[in-house]
Amino acid sequence: MSRPTPAPTPTTMGHFAPETIRRGAIACLPLLPSTIIFGAVLGVLASQRGLSLGELLFMSLTVFAGSAQFVSVDLWRETVPAATIIIATAVINMRYILIGASLRPVFRGRPLWVKVCGMHMVADENWAVTMTQENLANPGFLLGGGIFLGVVWATGNSVGYLLGGGIPDPEVYALDFAFTAVFAALTIGMWKGKVDLLPWVAAAIGSIIGHYTLPGTWSILAGAGAGVVTAALTWRDDMDDTSPEAEYAVDGRQAYGAPEGTPTPEVGK
Amino acid sequence: MNSFPDLTSFSLEAVLTILGMAAVTYGMRLGGLMMADRLPQHGRWAHVLERLPGAVLISVWVPSALSAGAIGIAGAAATVITMALARNLFAAMAVGMVLVGVGRYFIAN
Repeated sequence: MSRPTPAPTPTTMGHFAPETIRRGAIACLPLLPSTIIFGAVLGVLASQRGLSLGELLFMSLTVFAGSAQFVSVDLWRETVPAATIIIATAVINMRYILIGASLRPVFRGRPLWVKVCGMHMVADENWAVTMTQENLANPGFLLGGGIFLGVVWATGNSVGYLLGGGIPDPEVYALDFAFTAVFAALTIGMWKGKVDLLPWVAAAIGSIIGHYTLPGTWSILAGAGAGVVTAALTWRDDMDDTSPEAEYAVDGRQAYGAPEGTPTPEVGK
Repeated sequence: MNSFPDLTSFSLEAVLTILGMAAVTYGMRLGGLMMADRLPQHGRWAHVLERLPGAVLISVWVPSALSAGAIGIAGAAATVITMALARNLFAAMAVGMVLVGVGRYFIAN
């Protein structure tokens, strides 16, 4: 079988090509209203808990994880309970181990510095949008979404902090539901075939059980764990992805991962 | 208490706490990727890794749809169905959010 050998043009070689970053940012545009409103709600909360605006923005751009920031700011007092906050952050963000692991194809074959630079601005939203791109899986696309969300998030923080209230209740316009909706919709794009069915059902059941029996965000880990175990148990020898794209991506050394814009030659999905 | 609005003060304990939060979060992001890089590219582990994003994504939104109650479950179902039919992220989100917004309006009144 002949292997596709696209010429290593700047586009296929690029790690963080400006054009790709721009496309990644645009792909996260539907999340703008809800991200800015929730950013503002966090800003209001931070002003009540005694964080300075500078400290809040510093947190938003270094931690960059919404749900952990909400819990942390809520725990914030004049004498900062540092250990409690850091442990809570670690527990809530534990899913990023799984999210990081699932980004392997996006960073496949790329140098370490690209991974080090590309893994910071990874939120649930730009991760999910990136993972559902057919041939665009690229660190630049991921980073573009991250930068966009980071700017919007920080803008929302500032607006909320300075207004100190008067932010519309996200529930009125169902903006709280935007995150649920975007993740539910993107799940469709992750469907690769019948092999996904049992792990997905297990993940749903595991997360539902976790939701009713475990505190906080442990349901994410319960569901993901159930999905992983089911995937491991249902694997058979003949399931290996031997599509040209997969082989190419594993063996190809000069062109990275699934080069952006390269049409996939009849991948049997 | 600090005077409001407090824009630029940085206390040492706040900065250290935030750096600690950032370090554990970034460590898990990069650590997850580095661990996955060490797993085989074929076979059972590769298969598990390919199922991982879907499993994580489902586990993120299913509990939050449940938290939003019956209208949340209906909204999530409408979103999934719209996406499956139309393959349009914006349309799917709009259908789900409008359903939830309208549903809440009528339930609340």
